[in-house]
Amino acid sequence: METTIVLAALKLVGYGLSTIGPGVGIGIACYGCCVATARQPELQGRLFTNFIIGAALAEALGLIGFVLTFIV
Amino acid sequence: MNPLEELAAEVPHLQHSFDPAFVFGSGSFGMTQYVLWMIICFVITLIVVLTAGKRLTLIPTSKFTNMVEYGYEFVKKDMGESAIGHGYKKHIPFLATLFFFILISNFVGLIPGCKTPTGSISITWALAAISFVYFIFYGIKVKGLGGYLKSFAPAGLPVVMVPIVWFLELFSTVLRVLTLAVRLYGNMFAGHMVLGIFALLTSVFIGSAIQGAGVAVGSISIAWMLFLFAMYALEFLVAFLQAYVFTILSAVYIGLATSDH
Repeated sequence: METTIVLAALKLVGYGLSTIGPGVGIGIACYGCCVATARQPELQGRLFTNFIIGAALAEALGLIGFVLTFIV
Repeated sequence: MNPLEELAAEVPHLQHSFDPAFVFGSGSFGMTQYVLWMIICFVITLIVVLTAGKRLTLIPTSKFTNMVEYGYEFVKKDMGESAIGHGYKKHIPFLATLFFFILISNFVGLIPGCKTPTGSISITWALAAISFVYFIFYGIKVKGLGGYLKSFAPAGLPVVMVPIVWFLELFSTVLRVLTLAVRLYGNMFAGHMVLGIFALLTSVFIGSAIQGAGVAVGSISIAWMLFLFAMYALEFLVAFLQAYVFTILSAVYIGLATSDH
């Protein structure tokens, strides 16, 4: 009983830790997109598309952590 | 009773309400609430698009038609043209179908008492699988099977690096179906869970204030309700944003699969 609870709690802690990386990554990507758009507003569309791709790649890591909490 | 203990007792009921309960039928044959709401969302999407499609005029006069046309233009210009590039026109109907269906199902879920179909992982898996098969099909159609497999590794790499990069790219391509599905599901499910928790907190705190816990507990309940409103506004943004992200990522994947670098 004790071990099960500890394992379940550790899963949640691990998932919480795994969200830090993608969070920082998306933050940096968004910062870069905002700064670049402010300097060159006419490129906004393409910059935003690239931002979405980068955010999706960073977010994939967090989502893998989310799935692993169910699987393991 | 301490309101926080009461909350801990109530949360399992909230979690239980997210389970795919059977509306009718049971076991291997039947219909769960998510499937029911998915069919309702299909019908709403059909009605919205077909009514707008029937009333098309050169100069849009009704506000409703104008709104749907604006959504279609949004998919065409902001997603199709900027993400796919050359030859984007034949993919627009597919992208617009995805966008309108996901948008409407996300917004239907925000009406109290309704369930969002995209809050169930089976439905988002199906949507992601459709998008996955679609872009692989077009990649093979444009480049041929061998050409598509070769295009995972970008040209101009040193020979030693090619197998490693090819394998990594293959892995990240297969991972796309998982991330598309889990992103939409996770956002919608977690958002509705947060709304549920705040609603529960409001009701639990006001309940214990009425039972004699005092004015202080009652005023905390008002703060929870303000949080609930703020989260509700945020969920409207998330509902739109997730439909947008799903569609533009599909468009980007189609663009990557069909462009010849």
